[in-house]
Formats: sequence, C-alpha cells, structure tokens
Amino acid sequence: MKLPQGAKSELTFVGSLFALGFLVFWDTARSEPPAFNLTVSPKVFPYAIALFLMGLCAVLFIRILRGDVATPEGLAAGDPIEKSDYKTFSIVLASLFAYLLLIERAGFVIAALVTFFGITVAFDNKRPSRALLFGSIFILFVYISFTKFLNVVLPAGILEGIL
Amino acid sequence: MNNLNSLLDGFVSALTLSNLGFGLLGTFLGTLVGVLPGIGPALAIALLLPITYTVSPASALIMFAAIYYGAMYGGSTTSILLNTPGESGSVMTALEGNKMARKGRAGSALATAAIGSFIAGTIATAILAFTAPSIADLAIKVGAADYVALMLLAFTTVSSLLGSSQIRGFIALSVGLVLGLVGADLQSGLARLTFGNMSAVEGIETVPVIVAIFALGEALYIASRFKKVGWNILPMKGKALMTRDDWKRSWKPWIRGTAIGFPLGVIPAGGSEVPTFLSYAVEKNLTKHPEEFGHGAIEGVAGPEAANNANAAGALVPLLALGLPTSATAAVILVAFQTYQIQPGPTLFLTDGALVWTLIASLFIGNTLLLVLNLPLVRVWVQLLKVPRPYLFAGIVTFALLGSYALNTSTFDVQVAIAIGIVGFLFRRYGMPITPLILGLILGPNLELQFRRALQISAGDYGTLVASPLSKVIYLALFIVIIGPLVWNFKKKLAIKK
Repeated sequence: MKLPQGAKSELTFVGSLFALGFLVFWDTARSEPPAFNLTVSPKVFPYAIALFLMGLCAVLFIRILRGDVATPEGLAAGDPIEKSDYKTFSIVLASLFAYLLLIERAGFVIAALVTFFGITVAFDNKRPSRALLFGSIFILFVYISFTKFLNVVLPAGILEGIL
Repeated sequence: MNNLNSLLDGFVSALTLSNLGFGLLGTFLGTLVGVLPGIGPALAIALLLPITYTVSPASALIMFAAIYYGAMYGGSTTSILLNTPGESGSVMTALEGNKMARKGRAGSALATAAIGSFIAGTIATAILAFTAPSIADLAIKVGAADYVALMLLAFTTVSSLLGSSQIRGFIALSVGLVLGLVGADLQSGLARLTFGNMSAVEGIETVPVIVAIFALGEALYIASRFKKVGWNILPMKGKALMTRDDWKRSWKPWIRGTAIGFPLGVIPAGGSEVPTFLSYAVEKNLTKHPEEFGHGAIEGVAGPEAANNANAAGALVPLLALGLPTSATAAVILVAFQTYQIQPGPTLFLTDGALVWTLIASLFIGNTLLLVLNLPLVRVWVQLLKVPRPYLFAGIVTFALLGSYALNTSTFDVQVAIAIGIVGFLFRRYGMPITPLILGLILGPNLELQFRRALQISAGDYGTLVASPLSKVIYLALFIVIIGPLVWNFKKKLAIKK
C-alpha cells in the first residue's frame, strides 16, 4: 500500500503518543495506592486518561493509513510538505541543551550568550562578531535588570564578583 | 452601587504614581513583545511573567493588565504590516488589514484597530465589572458535579473548535492531561509518573510548559522549515489617523464586534477564532462596499479587532467568577494569578475583592494608556519589525529559558521546558493544536479534584454527575458540540458525492 507523503513519520509520532498512553497505564498499574479508603482511587483518572489517549491514537493511526495526513502549521491542506531542515533544527536544539548544561556551572550570562549565539548561527547570521556584541549587550542588560531591579535570582557563575 | 464603589476603590489603589509607572512600563513591554512577529498575547504575557515575580500584587496586576492589552495591540500591528498573525484571533485582521497596508492605507488600518480595540475593551471591561460579581454570586451555588460538567464542556469546545481536526485536538488535550498527572496526588500522596525523580514529585510547573510550547516549539519549527522564508514588511505612509469616511465605516463594526465578541468569550467557545470569524462574516454581509472585501475593507479590520478585544475581556468573566480559563491567553492569566497566590473562582471577590477591583480598574487604565501612547508611537513599533530574524529568535529563546529557570531557580524546569519545546515542534509539524494541551495541563488536576469531591459528597454514587439541571444542560451542549461537526462533515461528504 502506498502511503501519502508525510504519513510514515506521522505514524511514528502517533505511535509514540500511543506508547505514552501505555506508559501512563503501566505506571498506574504498578503503583500501590495508600491503604486508607478513598471514594475515588488515585488510579481512576490516570487509567481513564491512558485509555482515552491510546484509543484516540489507535483511531488516528487508522485514519492516517486511510489518507488523513496532518497539515503542518503554516501550510494549507494539500500543500506539498518539504523535507525538514534537520541541520538548523539540530543547532537550535543543541543551543537549548547548552543552556541547560551551563546555567549552574558557568552562570546565566555565559549560558545565555552561548544559546543566543548558537541560535543566530542556526538562522544564518552572516556577522558572528556583531551577534556576539549584540548578544552580550542584550544579555547583560537582561541580567542586570532582573537581578538588580527586579530581585530575580540568576546565577552569576564564573563571573561572580565581576558582575 | 456596591460594585461601583468597589470599582472606584480599585481606581484609587491603581492610580498611585508608582502603580501608574508600572502601568506605563507594562504597556511599553507588552507592545514591544507583542509586536514581534510570531508572538501572540499568550506567549507575550508568559514571557513577561518573570518581571512581575517580585513586585507587590497590586503593582504586578496593573503592570500585567497593561502587558495584556499591549500585547494584543502589538499583535494587530504585526498582522497588518507583516501579515503574520501571532494568534488565531488576528487572522481576520491580517486578511483585510494587510491588504489595506498594501494599498498604502496602513495608517487607517492601524488606527481603526487601535481605536476599535479601545472602545471594545472599555465597553467589555465595564460589562465585566458589573456582571462578574453577580455571576460569582451564582457560581457559589454551583456544585462540584456541575464543575466537572463545565470543565468537560471547556475541554470539548477548545479541542474540537480549534485546528482542522477534532481527533488531533483531543489527542493534544490528552497529552496535557498526562502532564497534569505528574507528581504526588493531592489526596492520597501517591506519586504518579515521577519515576523516582524527586523534582517531579511537586508536579510540572505551568509557566515553563507555556513558554516552551510557544517560544521554543516555534523556534524549533521555524528552524526546521522556514529558515529561508523572509518577511515582507509593508511601509507605513503618513500618520495613524482615520479619515471622516473611515470613522463612518468603522463605528458600527466596532459596536457589532463588541456585541459578538463579549458573549462568545463568556461561554467556552474555544477562544477568539470563532468570534473574529463571525464578526468578519457579519461585516461582509452588511457592508455597502462588498467589492472591497478581500482587497482591504476597513470594516473587515474594525469588526474582528473589536470582537477580539471584547472576547478577551469576556473570557475574564468565567476566569474570575469560576476559575475556568476558556482560551490560551486566559489560561496564562490564570497562571499569573496563581503566581501572585490568588486563586480565581466564586470566592475570589470575597477573599481578594480589593485586588480584583484593582485589576478591573487597571484594565481600564491600561486600555487608555495604550491608546494615548501607542498611536503616536506607532512608527517606533514599526521599527521593531525590522529586527533581523536570527536576533529575534535568539532573544525570544533566551527570555523563555530565563523564565523557566527563574521561577524556582531549578534546572528541572529547564529540562521540562526543552522537552516541551520538542513536543511543541512535533505538534506544529503534525497539525495538532497547542491550546487544548495547555488547558489539559492546567484544568486536569482541577477536574480530578472536583470529580472526587462530587463522588465523596454522594458517597460514590456516579448518578450525582448528571443530577443537577445545570449539568444536564451542559451535557446536552456537550453532545451537540461533539455530534455537530460529525453531522456537518457527513452532510458535506454526501453533497460532494451527489
């Protein structure tokens, strides 16, 4: 059977959502509620949600096989779906992870600057030095306004004592 | 009279010098973020939430009300000049407004949008001020079982009216409900879906989810698909002023838009998509210039913009009186309230009366500040549209990550944000609407709570869920919402076959 364009990857996506439903079901089944008597057990809702999600995924799975393929946001139904640009996507994603790794080790300013710079690179910025300069000014401004004027706690990290 | 006095008290507490300063700052920041392409009011408010974390509740609320209106106004500017509506409520504005801008009438389009939004916002806030307390009085009598029915209705309308596919809406809702399950169960203490992670026991914070699903999800999606597609900013000639003819053609659509938008905000009709569309359709039918529709008719901007703003104020009625958000923006506002330790619902006017009236007064002030400041400053905002895309996305993402971390200064929230960002990307790629997920996450735990409460009161008798007249009416409406589109599609298919 020939599947419409984009159907295969959508089937994988819907399959993983089905797996999420199954995970909820499994986690609920193995958990042991406290011994005291409750009118409604804390397992009722998770079971209902798990079954609802799995049921919907099963129906959508069949519908995709029959040709009801999703329209990505920003496109009209029937528009050809271009292949995703995974290179740009990966750089943006890596920049997000860099923030996660650096925020408590190197501090907010360094972490945010690496993320900022990474994303400008991903979006084809032709002038890296300018991006670094603008990024530094922007992030220092944000850091100082949040920590000094709004009393929001952000880690100074390795710049402790300088900022 | 009582309400009027309370409102006047609200004005007194909102109109201090420092609060006005916060109001001005809020208007400025709200417009600044709202005008950035691809950012709708829900995301703009979520991004700016960290700013209000440490300010006193009254100041935070006035700033917040100003951000709210600022973001709405900023969004319409982007729709008109750039044709990139940041949210579904601005789609209709983009349709006619952008065509007007192409004909060199950007100034008129921006002015009718701003003045229409002001008028609709003012009328709708006035109605809100005088109806929400009475609805809250009635709502105190609404039982747990009725709440269950109301929430199910909100879930169903939002899931089936948004996006192109009902089933995808319901799947999005289920994913939100799953996220809402994570953490220790409030009644029994049972840890659900935590998998031994201590940070997860307290549950998933809503702010990182909202910020991530909009901002990170959008950045990842644009990165994967539209990196090369640029924006075409239309120039704005002259001032943002309306001619006598523009006024003549705009005032009726403003009033009609308000009349359509407000009630559809009060009932859970799935956000601003339906009222703006309806207003557009009404104006198209009533216009004396049908030939202009689709080519830049001012009525097509005036009506939907008024409907959008009135709808937003209308959505505050169920939010304040019942604690029930009916759109993504309302859901974000609910989260904002909770960060100020305020729980919207029937008792809100009793427990935090002074604060609520300050908020309502702030809505009036924010709306006025916006009109006074923004129309003359429109050229400054237009310049913002010229921020290069790499910087724009880098800035948005940095801010979103800051908001996720600053809430609890915890990397767990950043991990959640990144994971949800990927979910946001996948949802966009596979045509699933975002709003049902947010409502599921926020209202899911509440639904479970009310469901259990109802059954505890009835000693386990499930019949209690459909016992009251209100719940019967709601379930009937629910039935129509689910079956209606199915019948409609079936009829359409039959017609095509014939």
